[in-house]
Amino acid sequence: MRLFIAVAAATMLFASVAKAETIRILMETVPDTRYIQELLPEFEEASGIDVEIEAISYIDMHSKLVPQLISPQGSYDLIVVDFYWVGEFTKAGWLMPLDDLAARDGVNVDVYVPKLMDLVGRVDGVLYMLPFYNYSMALIYRQDLIDDPAEQAAFKEKYGIDLRVPETWDEYWKQVEFFTRDNDGDGERDFYGTVIQGQRGDCISMQWANYLYSQGGRYHDENWEPLLDSPEAIRAMEYYRDAVVNYSPAGSEAYCFDEAFNVMAQGRAYSFVTFNILYAGFEDPESSTVAGKVGITPNPGGGLNGGWGWAIPNSSPNVEAAWTFIKWAENPETAKRRALLGGAPTQAPIFTDPDVMAARPYYPVLGEILAGTQDFPVFTYTTEFVEEVGRELNLAAIGEKPIPEAMADAQAELRALLIKDGKIAE
Amino acid sequence: MLLSPATGGNLTLTQRDRRFGYLLTAPGLAVLLVVITFPLFFTVFTSFYDYTLLTPNHDTFIGGENYQEAADEEYLPGSLWVTVKFVLASVVIEFIIGFIVALSLNATDRFKTVYYLILLAPLLINPVVVGLLWRMLLHSELGIVNYAIGLVGIRPVSWLGDPTIAFWTVVLTDIWHQVSFMAILLLAGLAALPREPYEAARMDGASPLRCFFYITLPLMRPVIFVALLLRMIFAIKTFDIVFIMTKGGPGTATDIISYFIYRAAFFGLDIGRASAMAVGLLIIIIVLTALLYRYMRSLN
Amino acid sequence: MAEIGLRNLTKVYGQDVTAVDSIDLDVRDGEFMVLLGPSGCGKSTTLRMIAGLEAVTSGEIMIDGDVVNDVDPAERDLAVVFQNYALYPHMSVAGNLSFGLKLRKLPRDEIDRRIAATADMLGIGDLLKRRPRQLSGGQQQRVALGRALVRDPAAFLFDEPLSNLDAKLRAAMRTELIKLHRMLGKTIVHVTHDQVEAMTMGERICIMRDGRIVQVGPPLEVYRNPADTFVAGFLASPPMNLLDARLGGETGLDEVELPPVGLPLLARHKEALQGRAGGAITLGIRPEDLDVEPSAAQHAAMTVTVVAVEALGPEVILVGALPGGQEVSARLESDFAAPAGSEVQLHVDLERLHFFDTDTGRAVTAS
Repeated sequence: MRLFIAVAAATMLFASVAKAETIRILMETVPDTRYIQELLPEFEEASGIDVEIEAISYIDMHSKLVPQLISPQGSYDLIVVDFYWVGEFTKAGWLMPLDDLAARDGVNVDVYVPKLMDLVGRVDGVLYMLPFYNYSMALIYRQDLIDDPAEQAAFKEKYGIDLRVPETWDEYWKQVEFFTRDNDGDGERDFYGTVIQGQRGDCISMQWANYLYSQGGRYHDENWEPLLDSPEAIRAMEYYRDAVVNYSPAGSEAYCFDEAFNVMAQGRAYSFVTFNILYAGFEDPESSTVAGKVGITPNPGGGLNGGWGWAIPNSSPNVEAAWTFIKWAENPETAKRRALLGGAPTQAPIFTDPDVMAARPYYPVLGEILAGTQDFPVFTYTTEFVEEVGRELNLAAIGEKPIPEAMADAQAELRALLIKDGKIAE
Repeated sequence: MLLSPATGGNLTLTQRDRRFGYLLTAPGLAVLLVVITFPLFFTVFTSFYDYTLLTPNHDTFIGGENYQEAADEEYLPGSLWVTVKFVLASVVIEFIIGFIVALSLNATDRFKTVYYLILLAPLLINPVVVGLLWRMLLHSELGIVNYAIGLVGIRPVSWLGDPTIAFWTVVLTDIWHQVSFMAILLLAGLAALPREPYEAARMDGASPLRCFFYITLPLMRPVIFVALLLRMIFAIKTFDIVFIMTKGGPGTATDIISYFIYRAAFFGLDIGRASAMAVGLLIIIIVLTALLYRYMRSLN
Repeated sequence: MAEIGLRNLTKVYGQDVTAVDSIDLDVRDGEFMVLLGPSGCGKSTTLRMIAGLEAVTSGEIMIDGDVVNDVDPAERDLAVVFQNYALYPHMSVAGNLSFGLKLRKLPRDEIDRRIAATADMLGIGDLLKRRPRQLSGGQQQRVALGRALVRDPAAFLFDEPLSNLDAKLRAAMRTELIKLHRMLGKTIVHVTHDQVEAMTMGERICIMRDGRIVQVGPPLEVYRNPADTFVAGFLASPPMNLLDARLGGETGLDEVELPPVGLPLLARHKEALQGRAGGAITLGIRPEDLDVEPSAAQHAAMTVTVVAVEALGPEVILVGALPGGQEVSARLESDFAAPAGSEVQLHVDLERLHFFDTDTGRAVTAS
């Protein structure tokens, strides 16, 4: 009996020691998380820290995170933060400033693409996150169609200009119209110039941002004065509605990016304005019938920037271990290996690293895309704004609300939220 | 003294029995009280404070301001109306289908387990999965449903893109998911009905249809009441299917109240306002329950 | 008015459970026929087949000469009173009574008239507005009866209607049903497992066992001449004493031996037992045919050891053991008393001896 107690006590002691070296991370079920998981054993062996990654789908993340962040001692040592949440999380004071740790350990944060540091790195000069991966948006299109001499000739005849990778919106929209077809002649279009991801909420909000930028529009000026009822914004919505009515599959006003992806991946569309990280999926014969036929280029006029950052919550039970993990995940060597696996880089040198370029020749384009992106308004109520504006955009897209009215309402919503956040005066 | 009911002094035996009964039930009642009433009171309490996720505390009492804000919400009446339509449509249709299924199953002797399993299968699926599954099947371009109806010459339907169709798509998905709950509840009621009155009715010359209306329906009234009430309350709280399938769209066609409140809480970060709306919803549910109860009583 | 005839009537459940096995029975017009038997004997199934609530496997049911196997229950013009009353729980008493009449589209005033008359006859006039659950068992029973009566059918089928009542009410209802039958003169088929009910109510009794009819006849006839040991043991309480015995004496047919006693055989018994000399036989003696006084004309004595004396009030049942160990019951005058273990001499009425074949159990009678 005494022996048993001794063994039990020793076991418990050992268990508690082992437990002190475990960190838990909440992540999203996306490829970049998978690449981390693939490399994880090396970290665990080298550091002696056990890492438990809880990977869940995006829709559950925010509601799962918030209660943990509010409590003094949460169950996650480390989290990943979507750029949406940055304003909210920092305003609420849930994230730990990392400047001191970075300075102490000589971590060089200048390697990151500045646009990403602005988005998911520093807030008002304070380092809260290290950019983990980027999902800036771009134009994905069918290179094989552009290269087809017959198409080139027909396009030239119709529009008087060359068919090439589009550099202006006008050029792109001509292509969208040109490639929208009724191949089986039943009077209904069955090949689409573009695919809309028009579902109410973040799907439409994200995609429409690219249309806004394409028209030279912006969400707000330097003083946060909203600009959603500007002529540019209205024109952007007119293009979007034009796409829904004339160039995109019926029903695409309810698609999110996954459904839209499948339309293009099944060879039913010419182009798709979406997240650059989906490009790998188009190139993968497992998920796509158009692998090898697809190109990626910046959205004419600029795309939407997007990204995730690593952050240590103030409720983290084990800050040091979490920081050790970040240092490993973001050291240039690990970052490069993640990129080689297919990860979306955040550090400038990786886009043009020779090994990476050899494995993934389009990575320099990704760098170019990222450089040309613009930021979504990041403030405390970004998440709410995405929903509010998403509703108005969707109402306009399905024709339930006249475009000027919808944009005026979106403008009013944004204004109200900015006022609530203290960004502008009433 | 309290713990020994036998030494109840000059209490009568009944009084002592009663006190002993209270003693036995006290722990359970206490737990129930805490588990049920605490969140309720917390919600009501919070609805009078400026409680947000950014300032998660009850420092700022703001009276009825949250209620005022909620009442001023431009899209709240529309959301309530969508909810009413959704609840009516799904509960009524589920009731009719569920009753038909329950009646047929009640009349079946063979392979009952197999039918039960088939019937229960959707109910056992997580609603998130149900939403994802049907979103996939109903894909306007690539979904198997549009493919199948295309084989018989029907044009593809924009299941989730057209506001009216999308509403019914969500209703039907919910019915697909939940109808077996209704069926099984009603089946349990049918199985417990006495057999003799039916034989008496047969001797009296009642047709099956008359038996249904004059005997089954009246005898099933308590079960029907419970089934309708439960399903109604569940339907008002429907969330996942809308969240997964439509996000309340297209436009505001499927923007049911629970998702509306969810947005206020988790996107708007405003727990106080969300609580105010939840309290309003609770009052509506209580009133509806009372009305339904009175109606069922009045039939008796 | 209805005659009910059963021809080779058979009911098989599933593959091989035979509930009713090829029975023949004729119920005369206006007759009170009791189907009697233990539970599971097929009597209720038979009644339900007559009612039309159970499908017939084979054979025929005839009402007034017409085969009604495929006639809808409602068209057979029969009314059933069920064991559990089967009242419509959600309807008032009046509603219960009028339901069938409304379905038959009788005029309103005719319905009212019939309900009033029936309620009057059964004394349930002031219950008409109540729900079944507000009634006592006896009241529910009357309503169930009323629902059958109000229809004015050609025949009544009673499925153990009295078995849920307490003893006193049951006795009262027995009398009422008999009166009712006399008053209406309608054919009644009454199913019961209670032999007292059968004896007191039936004009004829049909005793069933294992799906077959064992004996049909007026109560006293069945009582006096049970067709086999089953009927002998089933009818009356306490039942007939059935004793293992042997035929013996000089010719092997002089007496029936219950060692050490030999009871002399009467001439008509000898005739009936012809050919069984020296063989085993089951001797049946009703308890009332044993007496402490030699009161019968032809009697013989036997000595028993008192096991128990059950005083019932008007009479006493003596349970005694024969020297061979077999027990007999005797119905004696109420003033009889004897301590357990003492010996008592009982006199057997030799005229009333019954003989059954030991192997088949069938009564041995002069052919």
